[in-house]
Amino acid sequence: MDADGFIQTTDLTKVYFSGPAQVVALHGVSLSLGRGRFLGVAGASGSGKSTLMNLLGGLDTPSSGSIHLDGKLISDRSKAELALLRRHTVGMIFQSFNLVASYSALENVAFPLLFANVAKKERTRRAAELLHTVGLEGRDHHRPAQLSGGEQQRVAIARALVNRPAVLLADEPTGNLDSKTSEQIVQTLHDLKAEQGLTVVMISHEEALLREFADELICLQDGAVLSHEILRARP
Amino acid sequence: MRASDYLEHAWSNLWKKKLRTFLTTSGVVIGIGALVCMFAFGQGIQQNIRDQFEAMDLLNYINVSPRHGGAPTPADGDPDAQPRHTAPPPVSDPNQEVTVLDDAFIDEVLQIDGVEAAFPEMRFPAQVRLGDKEQFTLVQVVSSKGCGSGLIQLRAGAPYTSDEPNEVILSDTLLRRLGNTKSETAVGTEVEIRTITLDFSVASLMRMAFSRGDQRLPISDRRYSFKVVGVVERMGFGGALPIRSDVFIPPGAADRMRKLVLTGVSDLFQPAEKLAGYSTVTIRVASPAQVATVKAKLEERGLRTFALMDQLAEMRMGFVIMDMFLLAVGMIGITVASLGIVNTMVMSILERYREIGIMKAVGATDGDVQKIFLFESGMIGLLGGVFGLLLAKVVSFVINEVVNGFASGEGVPFIQYFSFPWWLCAGAVAFSILVSLIAGIYPTRRAARVDPVVALRHD
Ligand SMILES: Nc1ncnc2c1ncn2[C@@H]1O[C@H](COP(=O)(O)OP(=O)(O)O)[C@@H](O)[C@H]1O
Ligand SMILES: [Mg+2]
Repeated sequence: MDADGFIQTTDLTKVYFSGPAQVVALHGVSLSLGRGRFLGVAGASGSGKSTLMNLLGGLDTPSSGSIHLDGKLISDRSKAELALLRRHTVGMIFQSFNLVASYSALENVAFPLLFANVAKKERTRRAAELLHTVGLEGRDHHRPAQLSGGEQQRVAIARALVNRPAVLLADEPTGNLDSKTSEQIVQTLHDLKAEQGLTVVMISHEEALLREFADELICLQDGAVLSHEILRARP
Repeated sequence: MRASDYLEHAWSNLWKKKLRTFLTTSGVVIGIGALVCMFAFGQGIQQNIRDQFEAMDLLNYINVSPRHGGAPTPADGDPDAQPRHTAPPPVSDPNQEVTVLDDAFIDEVLQIDGVEAAFPEMRFPAQVRLGDKEQFTLVQVVSSKGCGSGLIQLRAGAPYTSDEPNEVILSDTLLRRLGNTKSETAVGTEVEIRTITLDFSVASLMRMAFSRGDQRLPISDRRYSFKVVGVVERMGFGGALPIRSDVFIPPGAADRMRKLVLTGVSDLFQPAEKLAGYSTVTIRVASPAQVATVKAKLEERGLRTFALMDQLAEMRMGFVIMDMFLLAVGMIGITVASLGIVNTMVMSILERYREIGIMKAVGATDGDVQKIFLFESGMIGLLGGVFGLLLAKVVSFVINEVVNGFASGEGVPFIQYFSFPWWLCAGAVAFSILVSLIAGIYPTRRAARVDPVVALRHD
């Protein structure tokens, strides 16, 4: 593992307390990922993949261990500081797309810009541009219900990228999609990584898909890293 | 997020749920409408009373009297007119220098800032004769300035133009008793005023001493001819009126008359030294706002004062109690409406649970989330306040028309029962927003605390 990892976790542990029972969702996860790399995270259901992603995105905080992003410790930050991290540095997409049903595609993509204090005109301009980037030109005013699953996930990708983040976290983005569409979505993520220098962490239980596009692959089991493979060396 | 973004966002979210927004806002509209109606009614009543006082121009007067037992008001025998809280009970501090209410005092008073006129309360008993009818009454001396100041409202004729001529203003009550029922026709006619005096001249005493019983008291009478220049329509407000009489003459004419001066019935029983000067001086100030300062200056000199303004201040206390009561009734509606807001906001937050998670995932802080929902709840308040105010205006207009419609059949003049001062309108809207924001505190805090991991979880 490279010492100068863009994303670096050290001995990351997350314990959930539900009543008297304790669930160790992550246990001593240490990994390092270089800038502009595409990391695939595989593992069975309940192995802690989503927990890892939520910690990386600052939606949750670790029970112990640390996370560094671009050399800066983020695991000790306050909730508000982590919100700012998501606002400017980390974009996220999810299995269930998580679009606002009552918003048009354009409004969904522009939504994060609202919190970033961007003027309305600029919000619309950038959202339209991003929809174009993900291949959804002309669908600006369609609501999520009027779009296919793959199209919805593209809207979500556009939304995740509208603030020009350095990192894109994707939690099973293809979980709700057929295999052909899945491939297209992952291809898109791969292309964006290549074009924009994004660092991508993508979770999937379809290892084959990850092997096809990712640079590195880790496999989680019971909250621990089972293996870490370098699929493609850094150029 | 910018304020304009919050507003636009709140508006578009409320617009998406038109029916719910309409129903919730209607609760606020009715609550605020009822509250504003109540308040406007209270204000209307107060405004009416104030207007009447002002129309009668009674709030500009102060009555002054020395601080001995004499009645400080001219309204002898009228219990309502007794000043209750205007001055402490008579003090008999021997060191207190007694201010004598004489002409020099009046000149001094006229120098005080804001004083427009000052005239003594001077009355004497006399017989007034018109044609063959005669009435005993008290004649009130009023300067032409005091007469023209609006204190005396004339039904016919005009106030006398100077303090000198033998001109008189009569009340229509007296005219009726003198047999003239069409008071307007009295203007320009001549009346005779017969004064009674106690005559202590040597000749009169001699006459008394040697008379054989038909004239025991040294009383003599004089007859003076006066021209009627005006007829008093009314003298304002009940017994608290500074001047109450049926006959008014100017001081110049009064000086030329021989008379038994009586400044108040109680004066008959006062020791002689205390009778120095007038018993009461009526002072007119330029505006009611100046009453307090002028009063204070006079009280500093150990004088007793009486002003209707004080009465009004006392009434104001009653108004405050009435307002509180109306407010309490109105608050019932507001309370119900705010529970409606809480309910709507809680519902809306449950429905938009995932949306809150999305907000947080794309970089909204807890504070951003809370503000987004607070703006929605505040906007319900804004809409409710504005339309509640409109509702109150419409309802009060209808009530006013209906009540006046009935009342005009009874010959009652048109009265505005509701008053909407600007602060009531602004206050109603502000209050509505405030209540809605308070109602929004609990639901919006819940929204802010939503755990994004749970809200975004795939299910
Ligand atoms: N909020 C929570 N409270 C209790 N246990 C949790 C919570 N979230 C996740 N877990 C548990 O942590 C483990 C890892 O969950 P997760 O990271 O969602 O797995 P994956 O995404 O790989 O399916 C699971 O056993 C899950 O039941
Ligand atoms: Mg998962």
